[in-house]
This record gives sequence, structure tokens and C-alpha cells, in this order.
Amino acid sequence: MKLVTWSLATFHATAFVLAIVLFAYSRGALGAGLSGLNTFVGLGLFVALWATTYFTTSRALRGLDLIGSARDRDGYVRRTFRWGAANGMSFLVILGIVAIGSAIENTQPGQVGAGILFPALVIAPVALAVSAAVGGAVGALFGIVDLALFSLAGLGEGPAGPTV
Amino acid sequence: MELDPHVLHVAMRWLHVAAMATAFGGAISVLALSARPGVTSSSAIVAVAVRYEWLFWGAAGVLAMTGIGNLAAFGAALLGPATSWGATLLLKLGSVLGLVVLSLPRSLAVARIDASIGANAQASVAVLRNLYGATTGAFGVLLALAVWLAHG
Repeated sequence: MKLVTWSLATFHATAFVLAIVLFAYSRGALGAGLSGLNTFVGLGLFVALWATTYFTTSRALRGLDLIGSARDRDGYVRRTFRWGAANGMSFLVILGIVAIGSAIENTQPGQVGAGILFPALVIAPVALAVSAAVGGAVGALFGIVDLALFSLAGLGEGPAGPTV
Repeated sequence: MELDPHVLHVAMRWLHVAAMATAFGGAISVLALSARPGVTSSSAIVAVAVRYEWLFWGAAGVLAMTGIGNLAAFGAALLGPATSWGATLLLKLGSVLGLVVLSLPRSLAVARIDASIGANAQASVAVLRNLYGATTGAFGVLLALAVWLAHG
């Protein structure tokens, strides 16, 4: 585990959630949105997003030395797009499992197949495609923001030692 | 077994305060160390800064998670952004987002300094002093906003 990976992954997860919360609150929609969410489920979903973001960020950074190599930073946004899409799909799978589990709990056994599993199977491919597109766009956006912040940190063309 | 929601919310607040104490206290500690570079060796200060950055990001994640949990405890009774309390919350959320965004270059700068500590140790410690001075100041503002929101 590297400091750069841990920093970037946590930055992406927290900044993403904080931006959504800030936007929702400024529109007056946060209270109603959060009041319908079970506390444990909310905490669990944040941890899940944090974990999937850590996993996908570490995969995106595999083999790259962002601190020491300007050339490695050049290909970074392509990777954040690809692994952002993977993160979007991973999080959707977790979200889907929670939603389906919760729906099954509140449904009579005889209606689970036709009422929940079949619609879920129909919706799943479209939802995965949308989550990949959204995840990829958010990933690419974060890739661009990251590069700007790398410059702010003084990571220009100069050589440096291996990444911590 | 059903967990009492009040117990859960108290635990979440405790975790929020503990994470804030870790992040704020850690920044003050690194600032204090880097303010006296003659007493402590530069490499030791950088090593402490690297450790702090690990802790900081863990604390940032916990702060975001428990902070949203604290807001959820208000439920539909959460005051809107048009109120004085709401405007302060909006300011606090924006400040937290700003601190998180500007902390990434700090972490990257610490990683860069750690990778090249032999080059110019005194200048590196001066950079750390500025970085952690700014971080401490930002946390001070956030703490003031949090106290105002809780008791104002």
C-alpha cells in the first residue's frame, strides 16, 4: 500500500460524496434524501464506495510513478477513465445486492422471482452501461483535477526518487 | 437485536470528534516540529509528516462518513440552506471540500519531499512548516464553524 494510492483513493471517494452532499443541500433536497436511508446502510455504502475506489485507484496506478515520472502522468487520465468506469460498475453491483436483498426481505416468497429477480435481470445490463459511463466520466474528471493538483504540488518535469 | 438509534448517533459523533482530533492535532504536531528545525532532524520531521498523511486521509474518510451520518440524524427536520444555520452549514461543507481538495497537493508534496529529502533538508522543512501552518489554520476555521453549528 502506497501513500499516493491511499491519498488519491480517499480524496476521490470523499470529494465525490461531499460534492453530492453540498449540491443536494444547496437545493434543499438533502434532509429528505437522508431521512429515507437507514444509518447502517448509509455508512456501509460509504465504506463500500471507499473500498471500490481504493481498489480501482490502485489498479489505475499500477506500474505508474506519478511522483517521479512526467511521462507516467501523461497517460494517467486514460487510466482514470477506464478504472472510473470499473468503479462505477463495482459500486452499482454492491448497491444492487443491497437493494435486491432489501426488496426480497419485504416481499412474499412466491413473488420474489417475478416481482424482483426478473425485473432486476432486465434492468441490470442498462444500469451497468449507465454506471460505467457515469463512472468513466467522473474518473476522467478526477484525472484532470488530479493532474492540476499534481502541478500545484510542484510535480513538474524534474526527476525524483521512487514513490512512497 | 435492534440497536438504539441514539446509541448509534452518539457513537457516530464520538467517532467524528475523534477523527477531527486526530487530523487537527496531527497537523498541529507536525507544525510544531517543523517550527523548530534545529532541535529535530529534518528527516525525522519528514517521516512524521508522511505518517500524518496516512492518518489524515483515514480521518478525512471517517469525518465525511460520520459527518453525513450526523446530518442524517436530523432527518426531514434538517434546516434549509436559506436559514442562518443552513448558510453556516453550507459554508462548512464548502470549506471541508476545499480542505480535502487542497490536502491532496500537500500529501503529494510530502511524498515528493520524502523521495528527495537529502537534496535540501532545511528548505524542505520550511515548506512543511508552511503546508501544516495552512492546514492547521483551515482546521481551526472548520472547528469554529462546527462549534457555531452545534451551539450557535
